[in-house]
Amino acid sequence: MDISSASVLAAALAVGLAAIGPGIGQGNASGQAVAGIARQPEAEGKIRGTLLLTLAFMESLTIYGLVIALVLLFANPFVK
Amino acid sequence: MFDFDATAPLMAVQFLILMFLLNKVFYTPLSKVLDERADYIQSKEKDARQRLAQTKQLTQEYEKQLVGARKQSQEVIATAQAEAKKITADKLAEAQKLAQIQKEQVQQEIETQKQSAMATLEQQVDSLSRQILEKLLGAELVK
Amino acid sequence: MESLEGLSVINSFHLATIEVGKHFIWKIGSFTVHGQVFMTSWFVISVLLIASILATKNIQRVPQGIQNLMEYVLEFLRDLAKNQLGEKEYRPWLPFIGTLFLFIFVSNWSGALIPWKLIAIPGSELAAPTNDINTTVALALLTSLAYFYAGFSKKGLGYFANYIEPIPILLPIKILEDFTKPLSLSFRLFGNILADELVVAVLVFLVPLFIPLPLMALGLFTSAIQALVFATLAGAYIHEAIEGHDEEHGH
Repeated sequence: MDISSASVLAAALAVGLAAIGPGIGQGNASGQAVAGIARQPEAEGKIRGTLLLTLAFMESLTIYGLVIALVLLFANPFVK
Repeated sequence: MFDFDATAPLMAVQFLILMFLLNKVFYTPLSKVLDERADYIQSKEKDARQRLAQTKQLTQEYEKQLVGARKQSQEVIATAQAEAKKITADKLAEAQKLAQIQKEQVQQEIETQKQSAMATLEQQVDSLSRQILEKLLGAELVK
Repeated sequence: MESLEGLSVINSFHLATIEVGKHFIWKIGSFTVHGQVFMTSWFVISVLLIASILATKNIQRVPQGIQNLMEYVLEFLRDLAKNQLGEKEYRPWLPFIGTLFLFIFVSNWSGALIPWKLIAIPGSELAAPTNDINTTVALALLTSLAYFYAGFSKKGLGYFANYIEPIPILLPIKILEDFTKPLSLSFRLFGNILADELVVAVLVFLVPLFIPLPLMALGLFTSAIQALVFATLAGAYIHEAIEGHDEEHGH
């Protein structure tokens, strides 16, 4: 396997694997948020704001993987 | 993609310039306006609250006065009623007394008339019985 | 890059092109700068300045039109800064955090809403300024400088006590944090915006009409959230540097 095909594979894996953890985390957070809203509907606005912010934080973990994938695809330092 | 060059420091400088310019034309004047408006609203609210308190006090006073007036009027009504009752009672008593007196007078009159009638009746009985005796026994014997 | 050239076969299509890492190079002395980033950032800056000047040109007690809008924006920024820094400390930092938010937000939305790609420039294409890693790194480093400045101006050299504050064993982690903070800030923003434009570009490449619209809307949403996240985190870092054991002793 030469470097470029390895890079393509690695890019795919980087995005795919990086999506697992944040996916679980986002699911957990959203579920808890829904439970919180169900228990306390008057706090919905606050819960939603916090939820969006935390979701963005988790999302950025996947984005890191995506950045790595983009580096491998478009700015690979090992391919001259 | 990850090629750093003079773009980054220039962008930072540019951002700082933007920050200072925005501070001049956006944050400072509009913050001042917002603060002034907040002060204005607060003072107006305070004023309004004071006025509200004043009106509340005035209403309370009026209510107190109203209650006093009502009490007074009730008192007046009560005294008037009592007076009226007294007057009616007096009048009634007087009328009853008058009636009593008249009744007594009438009874007395009746009595006297009865007595006079009795007296005349006795006289008549006397004379009649004398006549009867005269008729039965003769005039001489009767004397 | 030659061996990856096959990936850029899509560049031969006229309908949509996917370009990453091509720049419109300007030379200033011996330095090179990315012209397309500056062109769009000047647009963003002029939009912000014009809006603010229009809003404050004729200030009235009862706001109307653009003054109303900008006052709403200012109140939003104040709330944002206040939430992170607290009622007492937020005022001197409002311009920094507010400008961070406004600049990133307007940049992101200009990238998503304005069809920059229709304006042809040699060697590259126009996009949101935050689409370039230089911009995000500059903003993130400014944030780092800002919280260092905040800590030093508040506590002097006592700021270093923060590093060994709860227990000294955390010292390496705290030092590492100083490097990861700007790194994660810049990569988060850059990655989100770039990913957004790439996803839209790929979809446009596959199905040019209508299908990319929901993703574009999602892109608007994410870019707004990313601006909020960047400003919020900047505020949180500054707050972390300002507050310390002083207040904790005061309790």
